[in-house]
Amino acid sequence: MSPAGRLALPAVLASLLLAGGAGAEPGAVRQHVLPNGLRVLVRESASAPVVAVSLQVRGGSHFETAETAGVTNFLQRVMLRGTTKRSAVRLAEAAEDIGGRLDAAGEVESAEVRGEALARHWEALLALVAEVALAPAFPSEEIEKERRLLLSQLRTRADNPFPAGFDALVRELYGPHPYAWPSLGRRASLERLGREALVGRYRELYRPDRMVLAVSGQVARARVVRAAERLFGKLERPAAAIPPPPPVPPRTAGRRVLERPVHQAHVLVGYRGPGLTEPAYPALRVLGAVLGGGMASRLFVELRDKEGLAYSVGALAPYRTGPAFLVAYLGTAPASLEAAEAGVLRELARLRTERVGPDELARAKAHLLGRLAMDRRTNARRAWYLAFFEVVGAGWDFPERYARALEAVTAEDVAAAAARWLTGPTIIVLTPVR
Amino acid sequence: MVRPAPVAPLLALAFLLTACGVTRPTPAPTTTALGPVERILANGVRVVVQEFRASEVVALQLWVRAGGRDEAASELGLAHYLEHMLFKGTTTRPRGFVERDVEAAGGRINAGTSLDFTYYHVVLPAARARDAIEMLADVAVNSSLDPRELELEKKVVLEEMRLGEDSPRRRLVRQLYERLFDGHPYGRPVLGTPELVRGLARETLRSFYRRHYVPEAFTLVVVGPVTPGEVLAAAEGTLGRLPRGGVSRLPAPPPPPLVPVRLDTERPGSQAHLALGWLAPRLDSAETPVVDLLAAILGQSRSARLVQALREREPVVSSISAGYSALEAAGVVTVTAQLEPANLGRAEAGILAEIGRLRSAGVTPEELRRAVTAAEARHAFSLETAEGRAFGYGRAETIWRLEEELAYIDRVRSVTAEQVRQAARRYLDPERYVRLAFVPRPR
Repeated sequence: MSPAGRLALPAVLASLLLAGGAGAEPGAVRQHVLPNGLRVLVRESASAPVVAVSLQVRGGSHFETAETAGVTNFLQRVMLRGTTKRSAVRLAEAAEDIGGRLDAAGEVESAEVRGEALARHWEALLALVAEVALAPAFPSEEIEKERRLLLSQLRTRADNPFPAGFDALVRELYGPHPYAWPSLGRRASLERLGREALVGRYRELYRPDRMVLAVSGQVARARVVRAAERLFGKLERPAAAIPPPPPVPPRTAGRRVLERPVHQAHVLVGYRGPGLTEPAYPALRVLGAVLGGGMASRLFVELRDKEGLAYSVGALAPYRTGPAFLVAYLGTAPASLEAAEAGVLRELARLRTERVGPDELARAKAHLLGRLAMDRRTNARRAWYLAFFEVVGAGWDFPERYARALEAVTAEDVAAAAARWLTGPTIIVLTPVR
Repeated sequence: MVRPAPVAPLLALAFLLTACGVTRPTPAPTTTALGPVERILANGVRVVVQEFRASEVVALQLWVRAGGRDEAASELGLAHYLEHMLFKGTTTRPRGFVERDVEAAGGRINAGTSLDFTYYHVVLPAARARDAIEMLADVAVNSSLDPRELELEKKVVLEEMRLGEDSPRRRLVRQLYERLFDGHPYGRPVLGTPELVRGLARETLRSFYRRHYVPEAFTLVVVGPVTPGEVLAAAEGTLGRLPRGGVSRLPAPPPPPLVPVRLDTERPGSQAHLALGWLAPRLDSAETPVVDLLAAILGQSRSARLVQALREREPVVSSISAGYSALEAAGVVTVTAQLEPANLGRAEAGILAEIGRLRSAGVTPEELRRAVTAAEARHAFSLETAEGRAFGYGRAETIWRLEEELAYIDRVRSVTAEQVRQAARRYLDPERYVRLAFVPRPR
C-alpha cells in the first residue's frame, strides 16, 4: 500500500465507522466454526459476478513491542513475495488469470491477506489466499527488497506534513504503548528485523484460533465452507493461550512544536477515548462528527468558511479495541497559526459547555451513518468488515449494532462524552522552519 | 477526514476526462435479474432506472449531451466552466446547498466534462433519492451563475490548468489529440485557454447553458434500492415539466486523415516521455471490442507485449502502457512510456517491432484468453456498485445506446485471434502515426 493509502485509512475509517446502516444485509451472512477453531463467514450476494476474500488474523501493531515495531506488516508484505509453490510474479499472474488480485498488509488491530476475482473462480481465489497464508517461503532476497521498500515508505511518511504530525501526536498520546507507532513500524526495528523474527511472528499469528476467513460475493455458502475445511482444516490449534495486548499507561497532556520544511502549518489536538466496544464509543463518534465530520461540521463552518482560518480541517477517530483517540486537526497559512489553534481549542471548549442542538445532532448522525453505508458498497469492503470486527472480538455483526447505537445517541450522551474525554489535550503544532 | 476544497473531486474528474477523452465503454450486467428500465419522457428527457439492492446507497447521475466539442473555437472551456458553476447556487437554493443536503448526509457529489458529454454524479443514502432528483433538476436549468462566484472560480480553473501543465503524461496525451485532430473539435482543449477563461463573460456562459442544457440533452440515471415507478414519477414531476429546447445538437464531424508528425519538446525534469498515437474506430463500430482487446494485449498488464519486451526482459523504459479511447466520432490508440532520454530511439523501435509481430503473427490463444478475462473482470467489478452501473448506463445512453452497452461483454467474448490481428493491420500502421516526446531541458 502506498504511504498515502496508509494515511488515508485512519481518516476514512474515522468517518465510516461512525455510520451504520439501516438496510445492511446481516441476514445474508452465516458463520461456521471449523473444528480447529477457525471462523468462516460467508456473505452470499448475487449483485455482481465477483467474489472477495479477507483472511484476517488477530494481531497487528497493537501486539508488537518497541523492538518488533512493524514486524506484522513486514511479515504480511513478505508473505506476498513467494510461497513454497510460486514466486511473487507467479502469484500475481495466477491472480490475473482469474480476473483478480491479491494483497496483504498489517494494520493496528489485525493483519489481512485479501483477494478478489471473478465469481466463477472463487475456489481458485480461496486456494491462492490459503497458499499465501499457509505456505509462505520467506525468500531472503525478497525480504531485503521489502525492507528497502518499507524504509522508503517510512521516509516518505516523515516527509509529508500531515502524517508526520499525526505520528508525532499518537507518539505523545500513547508513550511506550504500541499504539504509539504506525503499523508500518519504526526505522530502528525495520532495519534490524531478520528472517527469523518474521518466521517467529508468522508462527505466533497464523494459528486457527486467531484467524477469521470472510468471503463475500456470488458464491454458494455450503461449497465455500467445504473448501475452507479442505484448505484450512489441517491447521493445528496450539494449546497455549493467545497473549493479550499490553495495557495502556496513563496519559500526560502537553503541547509540542515541531519545525519542518513545510509551507502550510498544521495543528493537531488529540484526546484518548473509549475502545470501540465500550458503551460511550458511539457518543464520542457523534461528538467527533459534530466537530469535524464533513463540510457542515463546526470546524469547517466556523474556522474555514466564516473565518478563513484553515484550508483543511477535520476530526478523526479510528476503530481501536483499546483506548481509541479523537483528533481534531487543521492546516493553515503560517501567519494564521495562532488564531487557528485558538479557534480549534475554542470549538473544543464549546462542546463541553454548550448542548448540541437537535438539528446538528441529526446532521452528525446522518453523516456518520451515510459514510458507513458509503464504505460498505463493494464485496471487498464487506469481507473486510466481517473479518475485522469478528477477529478483534466485537463480532461480525458489530456494524449493525453500532449503527443502532449511533441512532440512539442523545445530546446528553454527547455532553457526557465531552465532559469525560475532552480534558487535557495533547497538541502538536507543525510549523515551517524559521 | 482531510477535505480539501469542495471542488477538488470535480477537478480531479474533469481532468481525467479532459486528459484522456472517454476511455473504453464500460459494459454491463448479464447476471442481475432486474435489468435497467429505460423511459423517454414527453419532452425528450431520458430516464434509466435500476433497482439494485446490494447496499443502502443510491447513485443518481444527470448526463448532458454537451461537451468540449460543442463549443465555438472562439469560446473554448465553456462546458467545463459550467460544470464548475452548476452547484454554486440556483434561483431557490443558496450557495452551500450541496454541503447541507448531500455531504451532510454522508453523500458525495462529483462531475466531469469530456469532449462528448458532461455529467453530474451524486451518491447518498437511498432515503434521499427524491430530494436528489429535485436538486439535479434544479441545477440543470436554474443555476444562478452568480457573477461574483463566476469571478472567484476563475482562480480555481486556472489552477486546474496549471496542474495539467505540470503533469507530463496528461500534457502529452493532450498534445497527441491536438495533432491527431488538427482542425477538428476533438483537437481543442476541454479546459479552454487561460486567456479565454480570464475574459469569460457571464452572458457567454449563460447562453451556452440555455442552448445546451435542455430536456432533449438530458439523461437521468438512478441505480440503487429504489422502486422504478417512484423514480419515474419523480422524474416526470421535475425534469419532465421542462419545456423542450427545440434545437438539435450538431453531430461531430468525422476526423481528418492522419498526418504523421514527429515532435520533440523540451521540458523540465529528468525523465523523458514518449507517446505514439493512431486513429482507431469510434465507439459505434463493430470493431470496438476487438481494438479494446488489442490494446490490452499490447500494454495493459504485466504480461502484455510491450511491458514484457521493453520493461521486463530489457529495461528500456520505466513504465509503458497502451490505451484505446472510443469517442462518439472517432477513436484513438495510444502507447505512452516513461524512460531515460537516451533510450527514446530504442523504445520507439521496440514498440514498432512488437506491433509488427502482432500484424504478422497475431496473438496466441492464451493472450486472448487473458485479455478477455481482464475485460470480464473490469466489467464485473463495475457492476458491484450503484455508481459503476449508473456510469455505464448514462454514458451509453448519452453517446451510444443502452442495449449496446448491455451486450458489450458478450461481443468481447466472441472476438477471435484473427480479428485482433486484422485490427492491428488495419489501425496500427508502423509507418504512419503521430510521435511526440518530452525530453528533459539541458541544465
